Amino acid sequence: LREKRITECVELRKAHKNENFLKRRNITLSSLPDEETLSPDYIPNDFLSYLRKLLSQERNPPLKEIIDAGLLCNFVSFLSMDDEPILQFEAAWALTNIASGTSWHTQQVVEHGAVPAFISLLSSPMLHISEQAVWALGNIAGDGATYRDVLIECSVIPALLARISPDTPVGYLRNLTWTLSNLCRNKNPFPPLSAVQQIAGIPHLEKEANILHLLDKDVLSDACWAVSYLSDGDNDRIEVVVKTGIVPRLVELMSHKELSVMTPALRSIGNIVSGSDLQTQVAIDAGVLNVLPTLMRHPKASVQKEAAWALSNIAAGPCKQIQQLITCGLLPPLVQLLRNGDFKTQREAVWAVTNFTSGATVAQVVQLVQSGALEAIINLLQVKDAKVILVILDSINNIFMVRATEKLSLLIEELGGLDRIEMLQNHDNEMVYQSAHNIIEKYFSDVSLNCMAQHDEFVFQSPDVQKAFEF
Amino acid sequence: MELNDANLQTLTEFLRKTLDPDPTVRRPAEKFLESVEGNQNYPLLLLTLLEKSQDNVIRVCAAVTFKNYIKRNWRIVEDEPNKISDPDRTAIKANIVNLMLSSPEQIQKQLSDAISIIGREDFPQKWPDLLTEMVTRFRSGDFHIINGVLRTAHSLFKRYRHEFKSNELWSEIKLVLDTFALPLTELFKATIELCHTHATDVNALKVLFSSLTLIAKLFYSLNFQDLPEFFEDNMETWMTNFHGLLTLDNKLLQTDLVSNAIQFLASVCERPHYKHLFEDQNTLTSICEKVIVPNMEFRSADEEAFEDNSEEYIRRDLEGSDIDTRRRAACDLVRGLCKFFEGPVTAIFSGYVNSMLAEYAKNPQENWKHKDAAIYLVTSLASKAQTQKHGITQANELVNLTEFFVNYILPDLKSPNGKSTPYSGMCFCCCCSQLPKEQLLQAIPLLISHLQAESTVEHTYAAHALERLFTMRGPNNTTLITPAEMAPFTEQLLNNLFKALAFPGSAENEYIMKAIMRSFSLLQDSIVPYIPTLIGQLTHKLLQVSKNPSKPHFNHYLFESLCLSVRITCKANPTTVSSFEEALFPVFTEILQNDVQEFLPYVFQVMSLLLEIHSNSIPASYMALFPHLLQPVLWERTGNIPPLVRLLQAYLEKGGATIANSAADKIPGLLGVFQKLIASKANDHQGFYLLNSIIEHMPPESITQYRKQIFILLFQRLQSSKTTKFIKSFLVFVNLYCVKYGAIALQEIFDSIQPKMFGMVLEKIVIPEVQKVSGTVEKKICAVGITKILTECPAMMDTEYTKLWTPLLQALIGLFELPEDDSIPDDEHFIDIEDTPGYQTAFSQLAFAGKKEHDPIGDAVGNPKILLAQSLHKLSTACPGRVPSMLSTSLNAEALQFLQGYLQAATVQLV
Repeated sequence: LREKRITECVELRKAHKNENFLKRRNITLSSLPDEETLSPDYIPNDFLSYLRKLLSQERNPPLKEIIDAGLLCNFVSFLSMDDEPILQFEAAWALTNIASGTSWHTQQVVEHGAVPAFISLLSSPMLHISEQAVWALGNIAGDGATYRDVLIECSVIPALLARISPDTPVGYLRNLTWTLSNLCRNKNPFPPLSAVQQIAGIPHLEKEANILHLLDKDVLSDACWAVSYLSDGDNDRIEVVVKTGIVPRLVELMSHKELSVMTPALRSIGNIVSGSDLQTQVAIDAGVLNVLPTLMRHPKASVQKEAAWALSNIAAGPCKQIQQLITCGLLPPLVQLLRNGDFKTQREAVWAVTNFTSGATVAQVVQLVQSGALEAIINLLQVKDAKVILVILDSINNIFMVRATEKLSLLIEELGGLDRIEMLQNHDNEMVYQSAHNIIEKYFSDVSLNCMAQHDEFVFQSPDVQKAFEF
Repeated sequence: MELNDANLQTLTEFLRKTLDPDPTVRRPAEKFLESVEGNQNYPLLLLTLLEKSQDNVIRVCAAVTFKNYIKRNWRIVEDEPNKISDPDRTAIKANIVNLMLSSPEQIQKQLSDAISIIGREDFPQKWPDLLTEMVTRFRSGDFHIINGVLRTAHSLFKRYRHEFKSNELWSEIKLVLDTFALPLTELFKATIELCHTHATDVNALKVLFSSLTLIAKLFYSLNFQDLPEFFEDNMETWMTNFHGLLTLDNKLLQTDLVSNAIQFLASVCERPHYKHLFEDQNTLTSICEKVIVPNMEFRSADEEAFEDNSEEYIRRDLEGSDIDTRRRAACDLVRGLCKFFEGPVTAIFSGYVNSMLAEYAKNPQENWKHKDAAIYLVTSLASKAQTQKHGITQANELVNLTEFFVNYILPDLKSPNGKSTPYSGMCFCCCCSQLPKEQLLQAIPLLISHLQAESTVEHTYAAHALERLFTMRGPNNTTLITPAEMAPFTEQLLNNLFKALAFPGSAENEYIMKAIMRSFSLLQDSIVPYIPTLIGQLTHKLLQVSKNPSKPHFNHYLFESLCLSVRITCKANPTTVSSFEEALFPVFTEILQNDVQEFLPYVFQVMSLLLEIHSNSIPASYMALFPHLLQPVLWERTGNIPPLVRLLQAYLEKGGATIANSAADKIPGLLGVFQKLIASKANDHQGFYLLNSIIEHMPPESITQYRKQIFILLFQRLQSSKTTKFIKSFLVFVNLYCVKYGAIALQEIFDSIQPKMFGMVLEKIVIPEVQKVSGTVEKKICAVGITKILTECPAMMDTEYTKLWTPLLQALIGLFELPEDDSIPDDEHFIDIEDTPGYQTAFSQLAFAGKKEHDPIGDAVGNPKILLAQSLHKLSTACPGRVPSMLSTSLNAEALQFLQGYLQAATVQLV
């Protein structure tokens, strides 16, 4: 069974503090005209730039105080003063930083009407003002699905895409791809399909500015993150991404030396192979199976896990795809992960084995067993996670279904599997117990182990004639 | 049932009777309680008794009865009525926590179990205030109450350790954490404080530590799925105090950690990661010397168990269920070490083995333990890979087993001298399929004579060793020991086995019974001359154990042995079946009359086996029993269903006509069984087995009046709750009906229920789903049935059904040629209990009562593809031109090609 990335669920852990990643505060701007030359002797302007500096200080910027002082109205109204570019810029910067706070802070900015103002600022002829607007919108989009969709409703995507041209500076492009990636982000609900179609526009970007062929790692990274968000969903979404022809480039980027690029590229491909057989085949044709072994041996456990997940979904395919997986030499690294990976990686690797065994031919299963996978999963039967145990038992059952032989039973017993499976018959989890019991009953038992006072009788009751049958 | 003194009094009487050792008093009382438990107020009467009865015995008995009642009835099962009235449910939930906490410990435990059973169903949605009610008791300061709460909480939460992660589960845990985490932490701190204040008061400490243990268990359960925010924030409180507890040197907390520690070493040394830790020769030597050898020795605790409770000792020793014993742990460690260090480890131990044997030789009477340990050590060294069935399958080449066997084991077997050596020697032979066969053959008569030893341990080991030897496989997958080789010993073997059963401690010795079963199975025909005596002894045994069945394994092997006797004897001479019936029926009748529930499924299976041997008629003795088999009470127990269905099938096969003639009034009852089974998603396939047998074997006229109703029932189920399993069985049945009664009859009965029904079923069920049918016989039935519909049903040719003709043909060709469609809809994953029911029941609890697969079509149709070709040919000659034109208009090219192949193979042409 192909498995989609697990959607948001109830969490027991402390919420992760990753808001910084979704929103960013502008502390210093590198690509700016010198501040002093910009400021004529206009007092509000000085005051404004003072406020902006307050908001840009490293520690404890007075976000709430400025909101409470009622200054947001003024800031927003400055945004539309096209003839006061300095005022526009300072206000945009200040609002960017306020919007980078908590959801409540962002909400204040939006409710003061900043969204349409920022969107029109995108087309400002002054590059740094437009860039600041891009940034502010990125913060608003990063707040969550609701504001993301508000922005999409306001046609932010075409406005952003319009700014891309071959001579857009790299710094600007970085901000722009980041904002676009925030527009692709978040589930429950996913961004509307129409928006996905526009942005799957990353290849469209590619034509315009060759973003994915640029060598700038930040741009590449955000672009790949965007694709990974877009492809994280049902097969229709995956289809949009696949149709753009971007898959070969993503596979290429899986070998990128920067972790920040490789990770989202791997995630994107992982999502794509969770799609249909055909979509998976596109990734295989692009050579994903040649890249995965290296990633499965990557020093970082999270990369190994992601690669194993991708592999497990490829193994869920028809036997032709399984054959490609074998031919490309994926079994040895898989067995290595089963033996030595960290637990989360082992879990994915176990899924890979189960998926493999449910679709493979006899010869393919034999190869799997010979590669040492059976021994490795048997050793994993001692883990605590009931789900993993059940998945392993499924694999073992699948292997028996392919070819139940005395030899296989013996092999499993020799590998210590029988002892473990017998012990699992005492497991508290009903399904684990059942599954272990069934395997023992079916394949390991030569001899399986394991009033008349009332006089009423059954009667055959005529069924009520009911409304017409309709199947 | 009212809550009054009279009823309390009656209930007390009956509860007291359920404790009576005499089954003739006990059974009726149990039956009575079962018969009244459906009444409203019954559980409340029990609760009143367990709280207020003057008699402590009755209070406990009421508590146990209440717990079992809750266990059986609280869950509301689909397709079944609610067994406890809603007012009773509410009243129970309102009172039980209080009652549990104010009861003495014995009753508290039962009620606590009951709460967790109820909690599993109702908590949290239907029992929202349970937790708050419990938590407030933490403040009581009374540790009897607090421990009660903790114990109950533990039984409610421990499932968090083994349930799959799901949103539902995690929401529940969150909810529990919200009410429970803080009070638990407070209680933990307070209890630790109290331990300090009462550091010298042993009795107080005992209670406090039992609370701490429960608190630690709860902590573990609540943290199992993930580390919750609350505990992350309070990590320090918990960890500091846990650390304090772990380092606490308190005599009260001592437990035997040794075998766990050895087990740990064993699992570590097998891992490549840690190989280097053991590489050093000194480390190896010291592990061998200080850890393994001392733990291999027969310990005094083992000796006690050996003498006091020999059966328990044997079980631990023989079955590897002794994972916790030090010996077993040490054996595992040897095997683990040998994985990487076979040479050095073998060398180190060879020295030890020799010196232990030398010690023994000095004074065999005193030093037998040394030899025993030496044998153990050699066995565990020798076995690289071991299976229960085949013993050692890969041996360490560095150990010479044969030499060891000849020099040290055989002499002991020849002259039994008391203690343990012969026993471990016997174990040794059962482990060593690596030994040359002639050595094993030498051992067999010796083992047979050990069966006569009075010592339970000794004859049990002998029986076990023989049983293992008989199971070993030789070349060509036959048994290693052949019946011919056993010929000289057969009589002695059978005699001694049954004599051993007569020893006082071994009346229900499962190892002996298993050896009997295995001997029958090995010796086959050679037991026939002895059967008249043997069957008498077996039935006598059966009669004895049926008074009070207590050893499930023993009973199981006993029934297996009975089956083997029947099969082996009747294979040679089927007419002997009647002598078995004569011997067995009186006992069976008694079992049925006394309703010995444990044995009923076995009895039904043996009866099926017997009845199936009869050639074509059904003896009157069976017919007398027929009405009893249709009693609803038998069908209430799920374990009875498969064997009863099989038995009824045997009745139908042998006596369909007899039933129609002389028991026609029972036909509605038979169909009633079908109706009950078909209503349940778990048992519907069993219902179809029965229905198929009815269709196949009953004279058609005897069921004419019911046919329409049968189909209406099936259609209703199809409409209301169809599952893949149901559809598969339905398709097989419909086609079997068609084969038996003809395609026209099928079409007419469908269309008489509702106009155009036949077309709807073809279009919506048969065509899209037939690909899912699995099993050779099942597919054949469908193929022949569909062929008949295509070629013998005029309505398919000249009504609006014509448009279905080609799609149906295409589906049939798909059934022949495409791989089976084993997809099932997502929402069904958890429904199917038995994933792929066969056409015949695959239920085979008794391996030797097994049943052959039955093919109702048999040789009448050899190759269904040829039948299709010939039938199409016949159809085309009857209406020339029609068939080719239908084929050319809409059959797809691939299917057409396959069809051409069939026609060629049948050498016919369509016109």
